[in-house]
Amino acid sequence: MVASHFLRDRVAIAGIGYTEFSKDSGVSTLTLAARAVLAALDDAGLSPDQLDGLGTFRVGDSEIPHVVAQALGMRDLLWNLDLFGGGSASHALVGQAALAVAAGVADYVVCYRALNARSGFRMGGTGRPPVDVTETQYQAPYGYFAPSQQFAMAARAHMSRYGTTHEQLGTVAVQQRAFAVDNARARMREPITLDDYFASRWVVEPFRLLDCCLETDGAVALLLTTPERARDLRRTPVWISGAAWGAGQTLYSNQQPDPTRTAAANLAPRLYAMAGVAPGDIDFAEIYDCFSYSVLVQLEDYGFCAKGEAGPFVASGATARGGELPVNTHGGFLSEGYVHGLNHVSEAVLQLRGEAGARQVPGAEIALSTAQPGYVSGATSALVLRRGA
Amino acid sequence: MSHRSPRPSPDRDSEPYWQALRESELRLQRCSGCGALRWPPRALCNRCRSFDAHWERLSGRGRLVSWVRTHQVFAPAYRDEVPYRTVQVALLEQDDILVIGGWQGGDDPVVGQHVEARFTVLPAAAEDEESFVLLDWAPHLGVAGEQD
Repeated sequence: MVASHFLRDRVAIAGIGYTEFSKDSGVSTLTLAARAVLAALDDAGLSPDQLDGLGTFRVGDSEIPHVVAQALGMRDLLWNLDLFGGGSASHALVGQAALAVAAGVADYVVCYRALNARSGFRMGGTGRPPVDVTETQYQAPYGYFAPSQQFAMAARAHMSRYGTTHEQLGTVAVQQRAFAVDNARARMREPITLDDYFASRWVVEPFRLLDCCLETDGAVALLLTTPERARDLRRTPVWISGAAWGAGQTLYSNQQPDPTRTAAANLAPRLYAMAGVAPGDIDFAEIYDCFSYSVLVQLEDYGFCAKGEAGPFVASGATARGGELPVNTHGGFLSEGYVHGLNHVSEAVLQLRGEAGARQVPGAEIALSTAQPGYVSGATSALVLRRGA
Repeated sequence: MSHRSPRPSPDRDSEPYWQALRESELRLQRCSGCGALRWPPRALCNRCRSFDAHWERLSGRGRLVSWVRTHQVFAPAYRDEVPYRTVQVALLEQDDILVIGGWQGGDDPVVGQHVEARFTVLPAAAEDEESFVLLDWAPHLGVAGEQD
């Protein structure tokens, strides 16, 4: 239990920046990063000269903060972070930056993620060797090295144990596409049905193509500052009410042999306590959806339904447009594009500012945004965000 | 599958494990401090933090936790191998140890079924390479009544 919630609402997200999302950006990750950082500053109405902190996360596939700082002509960098990690680190980056802002280390910090995840370094491993970590030797020789395989393995266990169905996996994809129809940034905007889902080819059984995220070239940036400064800027501020980190099992933790429970189950209680909310207070959620199943297991582990009940919960329409808990209102990785988790945070900010256009969630006041739940890394992270004033 | 790639790259912790597979044995470290088996091979126990252990031959039996069938070609070496099946197995001696392996059964795996190790030789592909043995799995062919 967190003894004191010193960080609650102490830091604002005051600007967001995007590049175009595509299959081939045609530019370097440095260019993508610079475009997104400048766009976030412009969104807030700040001059690039006021930027004094930069952070990113990456897996050897993008430019580090110092290189981006040089490109932006930053004379001094009061805070920086180059966090090694995949999607599980996405929200940890924002939490770390919030700690720096709350501590007064820097005034205007931008978190960015820039990647050519389709035209360059593909997470699925296509065309490149497996990531060289100790565990690789126990998996790669068996032809097992892509995240889709690791999540499919967990999904099958969930389906077997709780009766989760292919229809329920497909419903995640169908519901998210319905949001993307009204998102000009989304790479996939044609409505789909369960028939389309079942007609899509196998990638790794039990996953079909429409269970899998869209490897994407693009960048997203978030500007963090104090509430006092944020109130002087151009946009409605969004408060970071909770930021938490969590660890859980991988295949190599032993002692935690249940593949249907993720690190999110460890993290959720302290995240909610820090933010002073309960799952029922959350108006909408942006849930890390590298694969459809990732949404289901996190709906359970973040407490929106009982363990094993996420399939029926989604099938009830609860997570669809107009449902009690709209999920992935941008279309998620499955339809908007895979920008590794920061596009979940930026979408939550857009919704809380009331700027999401036709896909706006009415009365959006409190949001949950989550990172990769830890199947690959053993770690996760998440944020609770609140509309400011 | 006839061709597997990349080949295992043993480190200082795992060399005895791969050597055991070459001898058609599944051997893991049993902790001298608390008696727990260690996975993956490493110098210390993640329960009692003891650095002492001895290598012990296991039964090579387990229970199938999950499996997948890969259709996508994630690396060029698998172009002629897809679709192929990969399983996740909980070891009989300690069911919180989950290992990944290939599937050597004829029928598709069934979650919960009893399985046993198959030691698949991966011949050296070049003169300066060693042969390797991979840990695969197949249905356990136990006598009636032995299943549990």
